[in-house]
Amino acid sequence: MSEAKSREEVIESLNQVAAEMHDKMLKGEPPTMTLPVRSKTNIEFNKKLGVYKYGKKQTIRDATSLGSARQLLRALHVIDFIEEMIDTAKSSTLREMYYISEAWGLGKFGTQNESNNIAEDLEIVTRCMREDFKLRPEEDGARMIGNVTIEERNRRGDWMRINCRDDVGDSGYGLPYNVEPEKIRLIDEDIDFIMAIETGGMFDRLVENGFDESARCALIHLKGQPARSTRRMIKRMSETWKKPVMVFADCDPWSFRIFASIAYGAIKTAHISEYLATPSSTYLGITADDILAYDLPSDKLTPKDVEALKAELTDPRFATSEWQGQIQMMLDEGKKAEQQALAKYGLDFVTDTYLPEKLAEFGLSI
Amino acid sequence: MKQASISEFFEKNKHFLGYDTLQRSIITAVKEAVDNSLDACEEHRILPDISIELRKVPKKPDRVIMISQDNGPGIPSKSIEKVFGSLLFGSRFHTIRQTRGQQGIGITGVVMYSQLTTGKTTRVTSKISKEATALQMDIGLDTKKNAALVSNRERTHDFLDHEGMPVEHGLKVEAPMKAKFQRGRKSVGQYLRMTSIVNPHATIRYRAIDENQEIIEEFVTERVTDRLPRPVRSIKPHPHGIEIGAMNRLLRDSTEKRMSSFLRHTFSGVPMRAMKEVLAHADVESAAKPSEVTPEGAQRILNAFNTVRLMPPPTDCLSPIEDLLIKKGLSKAVDSAFVATVTRAPNVSLGNPFQVEVGLIFGREDIPADGAVDVLRFANRVPLMYQQGGCLLTKAIEAVAWKGYGLEQPGGKGVPKGAATILVHLASTNVQFTSEAKEAVADNEEVFNEIRLALQEVGRHLKNHRKKSAQKAKAQEKFELVNEILPAISEKASSLLGREEPDLAPVITRIMNAVFCEDEVIWDKEAKVHRCRIKIHNYTARPRAYSILAQYPETDSAHFVENDLGGRREVKGIWCWKLDTIAPGDAGYIEFAIQGLEHNDWNSTEVFFRGSGDIIGASKIDEEILEQIRTEEEIAAKKAIEENNLAIDDAMDYDTDNSGDLDAVELQNAMAGPIGEKLEQNSAEQVIAKHDVDNSGTLDREELIDATQSDTSRQTGLGEWGDE
Ligand SMILES: Nc1ncnc2c1ncn2[C@@H]1O[C@H](COP(=O)(O)OP(=O)(O)O)[C@@H](O)[C@H]1O
Ligand SMILES: [Mg+2]
Repeated sequence: MSEAKSREEVIESLNQVAAEMHDKMLKGEPPTMTLPVRSKTNIEFNKKLGVYKYGKKQTIRDATSLGSARQLLRALHVIDFIEEMIDTAKSSTLREMYYISEAWGLGKFGTQNESNNIAEDLEIVTRCMREDFKLRPEEDGARMIGNVTIEERNRRGDWMRINCRDDVGDSGYGLPYNVEPEKIRLIDEDIDFIMAIETGGMFDRLVENGFDESARCALIHLKGQPARSTRRMIKRMSETWKKPVMVFADCDPWSFRIFASIAYGAIKTAHISEYLATPSSTYLGITADDILAYDLPSDKLTPKDVEALKAELTDPRFATSEWQGQIQMMLDEGKKAEQQALAKYGLDFVTDTYLPEKLAEFGLSI
Repeated sequence: MKQASISEFFEKNKHFLGYDTLQRSIITAVKEAVDNSLDACEEHRILPDISIELRKVPKKPDRVIMISQDNGPGIPSKSIEKVFGSLLFGSRFHTIRQTRGQQGIGITGVVMYSQLTTGKTTRVTSKISKEATALQMDIGLDTKKNAALVSNRERTHDFLDHEGMPVEHGLKVEAPMKAKFQRGRKSVGQYLRMTSIVNPHATIRYRAIDENQEIIEEFVTERVTDRLPRPVRSIKPHPHGIEIGAMNRLLRDSTEKRMSSFLRHTFSGVPMRAMKEVLAHADVESAAKPSEVTPEGAQRILNAFNTVRLMPPPTDCLSPIEDLLIKKGLSKAVDSAFVATVTRAPNVSLGNPFQVEVGLIFGREDIPADGAVDVLRFANRVPLMYQQGGCLLTKAIEAVAWKGYGLEQPGGKGVPKGAATILVHLASTNVQFTSEAKEAVADNEEVFNEIRLALQEVGRHLKNHRKKSAQKAKAQEKFELVNEILPAISEKASSLLGREEPDLAPVITRIMNAVFCEDEVIWDKEAKVHRCRIKIHNYTARPRAYSILAQYPETDSAHFVENDLGGRREVKGIWCWKLDTIAPGDAGYIEFAIQGLEHNDWNSTEVFFRGSGDIIGASKIDEEILEQIRTEEEIAAKKAIEENNLAIDDAMDYDTDNSGDLDAVELQNAMAGPIGEKLEQNSAEQVIAKHDVDNSGTLDREELIDATQSDTSRQTGLGEWGDE
């Protein structure tokens, strides 16, 4: 799947979806669309790929209820639309498609979310990528600073060489939505590892303190739940250059999920986990025991937090004893903490003390 | 009552005269005025237009001027002083029939209250159509003489209606009084709204103005029908409702010379034969003079009333609102999704005819769904606003198991909860209240049972309605699916693949897999009929056969005009048709039209079926309930026939020459008794002229039976089929 597909292959697999419906109707049965179940009960660890993928559980969406029938009709319209774009060598954003659907009559989308979901459904059943469909997300990618050199092909089609430390301002290099080789080439690096940072405040702190240089690393700001392109870029850099990835996030259930999506794949995109996930990633902190060890200012867990932590206890991606211990510890203590809580000991504490100590645990001495 | 103490009497009794609190006093005053207007209009067959205005007087705390105006007949000048100036001058103290003016002490009470609390007079303006100008005067009370003190009496041209047009006839009363008015459940506004529901023929305007001349509440409830309530007849008391005191009084005051005629003429329901039996049982001479009958004799007569078989009192003295009009009145008063109403047949309790009507509104958006339902109680078209808890009408509501009909009822008892309103109207010649305040109806088993049965019926309607709306929404979705989405899927998939479109019929059957009922009632403006169309669509894989039953308004005026399928009347308000077997994918139709209803009288039907499997949008008919209704109808029919026979027997007893025929004189005598109430015509000659089939100049028994039944049996004359 990581291989780009040919036009004919993409159209053929899309037509398969329409054929399933047509065949059913020929037999006098309601048309259907068969999909894997997209929930945590249906993700399995793929040993070969080292990531979590959808398992064998399938749902059949059939046209016996109005809601499902509409979904099928919309899927057909999207297929038609994609095939037309492929034919005419155009692309569009998901949001554009949502507006274009206004002209689809009964098949038009009710919300943007519906159009996103159908695009994902089609990726899953056809084993193609959104990029194959010429559909772009609006989500913008992350920012990066560090001594790595890349080439990006600009709008005029020329390759532009950029050093992500010397050729960028304080806000760093902004990743485009497409980070595939046809758009981004990885040229050179002089770093020891890649550090992914959850919050903008901490990213800026590390930049200001010159941590990328002192620790010889590339700093990437995740912006909360990381976009596909961010995860893809981390994976490409890590695999191409054989660099470890260290994830530095808050200590709360949502941050754990961010880590899981980087390391093992997200539930929503489990069909392309091997393409987005970097199994060798490490959760650096903040860990539950950091709160105690560094006596960090903390907040009480909200009922929602507790619920999320409990859900994680049964999530296969957190099945390791390490994670089970961390989550259980958080539940016992009833506390969570932000990355910026480290400022309790001064602005330089994070770069002078905390991170060096934590990195040393994983054999990365500064 | 000693006249010197009239104001004292008022002071002492003001709690049950309705003037105990400042809030209640204003409601009572409005009520006296409105009741009079409605009564006067009804008697004179005028469609009432009533305006009520309340004005707060600036700088005087708790001072309100009540202004009421109507388009009634007005009051002749010579009666005005009596009506407004003397207590207990009413026009209907000695008749027995259903009237409003049975509460309080009438309009003089308003004048009295006004004077006692403000020291001011009441201004009355009256115009009768015979006179060119209106008469206006200020009226006060001489409480010692129980008489009016009139001042400023003058003729005026300046009597105008709400549009500023000169009034043809009508009455206006302006009374200042100490009072407080408010909005909400116990307010003048609520009272008037309730009044308009049970008087659908009246237009009522209301406006309340505060001391700064600002309108604080205002509404108009327009009449929803031009049909006035049917004229009520007064009836004589029935022996079963008489107590010993009243009996003694009647005997003492009677001008009859003989006990035989006393019994026949004083009471209703006493045929000749019964009269003889009563006297024989009581051992009282038929020639005895009523005033000379001893108290013991009177008691023996009372006892005999309970052993001898009497006829029930006639029930046409009642004026029910009738369910269709209640429905209209309710729909006009509140926006809601659903209204059901039921008018029960008249019944009798202790010699008093009574009739029960109920209504249920569900799906109100203006009240919270978790509060108790709104209860609207009425006695003889008068709203009851106080003492809800102790009232028989409320107790009957509480006794129904509402859960079964889809309303919440914590603990299975009590007033149910929900965004609903329940209306109960008791019409009776003698409403028994728990106290002089006349706000709560006293316990009575027969009345209680009638109300409960009526409530259960509207409850069933509600349940069916809710089930049907849920099913309808679902069916609507399925129809959209197979009629629109599925063909679009088929077309799109086929064109993408460049294949031919598949045959969708079998796919549709698979998706629907049910039988659907669609029904509608529409008003055909041209033909002035209501058309009802029912479609039963079989979307299953096997043939289906059903009998379909549908609810229709069965009233005196409504009848079928188009009904090709025939069918037959199942019970009151339910018609039944047998449908031919419907093949898979096919549909069966029932169409009929009903003439004789006004535009908004009917707008939806309920469909039921007999047969196996379910029909979405229709309910399986409950044979038990049908049987129950049928039994009730049979009993009522039997009773009517028996009653008729008694009346005929009674009439034939006047055949003094034993000829087997009644001549005009004999029939005229007989018509003083029960037979008179069963005949359309008033004179014996007219009856004979119409019903003398063999032209003998007299009526025999058969002809007389025919005469009594000619207007009661309505033949619909439609096809029937044998029992299944
Ligand atoms: N608005 C009115 N229009 C015509 N006649 C009226 C009106 N109000 C009262 N009357 C006459 O005055 C009579 C006395 O009224 P009232 O004192 O209220 O006693 P009641 O209503 O019990 O008869 C009525 O019976 C009626 O004949
Ligand atoms: Mg009155």
